[in-house]
Amino acid sequence: MTVRKAKKNTPKPKATLICIIFMTMFLAELLFYTWCRVQYIGAGYEISSATKHHQYLITLQNNLKIELASLKSPERIAKIAKNQLGLITPTQEQMIIIP
Amino acid sequence: MKPVQTKHIRLRIIIVGSIFSLFFTAIGAKAVYLQIFRGPWLSKKATNQYEVSLKSFGKRGTIYDTKLRELAISIDITSIAAHPQKIKNAQVVARSLDRVLKINRKSLVRKLSSDKKFVWIKRKVTPKETEAVRNLKIAGIDFIPEHKRFYPNKTLAAQILGFTDIDDHGLEGIEFYYDAYLKGATSRYTVLKDALGRGFDSEKNIASNYSGNNLVLTIDSVIEHITEKALEETVKEFSAKSGMAIVMSPKTGAILALAHYPFFNPNAINDFNQKIWRNRIITDPFEPGSTMKIFAAAAAIESGNSSPNSIFYCENGAYKIGKHVIHDTHKHEWLSLQQIIKHSSNIGTVKFSAITGPKYLYKTLRNFGFRTKTGIDCPGETAGSMAPYKQWTKIDAATIAFGQGISVSALQLITATSAIANKGVLMKPFIVQAITDQNGRLIKSFGPRKVRRVLSEKTARTLVRIMKTVITEGGTGVNAALEGYSVSGKTGTAQKIGEKGTYADGKYISSFVGFVPAKRPKAVILVVINEPKKQHYGSIVAAPVFKKIAHKTIDYMNLQPKSNTGGLIVS
Repeated sequence: MTVRKAKKNTPKPKATLICIIFMTMFLAELLFYTWCRVQYIGAGYEISSATKHHQYLITLQNNLKIELASLKSPERIAKIAKNQLGLITPTQEQMIIIP
Repeated sequence: MKPVQTKHIRLRIIIVGSIFSLFFTAIGAKAVYLQIFRGPWLSKKATNQYEVSLKSFGKRGTIYDTKLRELAISIDITSIAAHPQKIKNAQVVARSLDRVLKINRKSLVRKLSSDKKFVWIKRKVTPKETEAVRNLKIAGIDFIPEHKRFYPNKTLAAQILGFTDIDDHGLEGIEFYYDAYLKGATSRYTVLKDALGRGFDSEKNIASNYSGNNLVLTIDSVIEHITEKALEETVKEFSAKSGMAIVMSPKTGAILALAHYPFFNPNAINDFNQKIWRNRIITDPFEPGSTMKIFAAAAAIESGNSSPNSIFYCENGAYKIGKHVIHDTHKHEWLSLQQIIKHSSNIGTVKFSAITGPKYLYKTLRNFGFRTKTGIDCPGETAGSMAPYKQWTKIDAATIAFGQGISVSALQLITATSAIANKGVLMKPFIVQAITDQNGRLIKSFGPRKVRRVLSEKTARTLVRIMKTVITEGGTGVNAALEGYSVSGKTGTAQKIGEKGTYADGKYISSFVGFVPAKRPKAVILVVINEPKKQHYGSIVAAPVFKKIAHKTIDYMNLQPKSNTGGLIVS
């Protein structure tokens, strides 16, 4: 009678295995979800930092554009042409027509 | 087990059970209260802690010249603001900021101690100042990104472009007139912030999407520079009060240059007198003087009552009309209409205009666009003034013919002259040729617009020929002659009305209007010098400026001298 009772209380190995598999799957899913969240947050920071860098580069480009526009100023070019290079507007005699 | 012991155990179980039940009921009740009754409020509070809503102002569009060279651009800049409720010691913070930003400490303390949630400390500061304030690491100080208008060519075309205020609203010139197109849109976007306040996963905020549209002007910055330089030299040489010059394409009505002297720098408007900010070429009427004779001649020829060879007696320099006496600078006897224009005889003009009749003269002047706004895309245009011909007295009819007793804007004068150069067709002047979006895609374009035919082609050709004689030997405009190119033009010298309402002694407006080359004109040029001191005749003061502008402009346009018909020019 005692032997029969003991047999009844012992869990079946197959059920235990199923339990372990389910637990493992649940844990794996949990870890995977957590990993995904961490990746998502990490990517968010990377995007923010890349956006910041992009903004910085745009500002730099704008500053260069402004510098270029100032350098192209007719006033500045005329001064260089006249004072540094000694250029003048040609008179009719100074023009040669290439046929 | 004894029955008493069992009873005690049961009692204890009941008590512990009851305590736990009460405890769990309390937790449940609190959970219901928080989740159901306070849920929305708490969610909002949580969101406020990790979400920040920011406002972004789109950049103002760029203004380009006809060759897409930047005339006005917007730059990124930082403004410093404060959240007074987060400032711990206003006195100390004010002292630190004052040292860096050089602003009034008392007003700063007042701002920092106010009940407001947000106050500006200093708008649009330099990068150096921003860095210095950032290094102070003061809690409650905020750095707001903004845009600032910048004019890279400084004074070039300043009166055309105008300027903006600190909030980027156009206040003068093109900036004002096209403000609706130029200004950027305002957008709101959300940024998630972590516990350390770092920005994270911001919503897509592409500021450029909110940028304003760009304008492409008809102005050529090189011709503008040539014109401004020539004008500046002459105004200084003759110690004049001010000067204006315009270059226009007669075929299209496009304004190529529009110069004023004195200049002002729109990057620092407060350093200049407010009076010189406006575009006087468009806003200010003046009595043009003898340049009006070409329109009186146009009316005379077009009416069929006179021809270029019709002769008139010029009364030896003095002609009495009622109580008034009209004088000529030089005494003349008999002159043909062509010679009257060449020598700029007031008496001769009065004589042939009398034959034309006030009604026809008035009609012709109106057709040329006088006393009507040209409709140019610039603010504050004047229509000028001219009384209806029925109100003209004899002396009015006489003086209007030679440009006194009538007021016109410089723009009206050049537009009317362009009609002669354009075979009698009046074109609408314009200064903006296209509006593009921030990616350069065309939104709107503006082309040449014919207003009306003012003269027959034959009359226009005759007038061009007459105006050519003005530049020849003996004519008043000989100083405008260009070697190798034919020029048509007319000088003008008008007395100015003084403060008393009568013509003031020694105050004149000297002008010259003409076009080059006379046969197929590419540029019509008007020069107006206000109150020159040493000399006052248009032939001496204004004609040489025309010559300088025309010479350099022709060279820049690569136009060949009249003797050459083909080939490349090398110089």
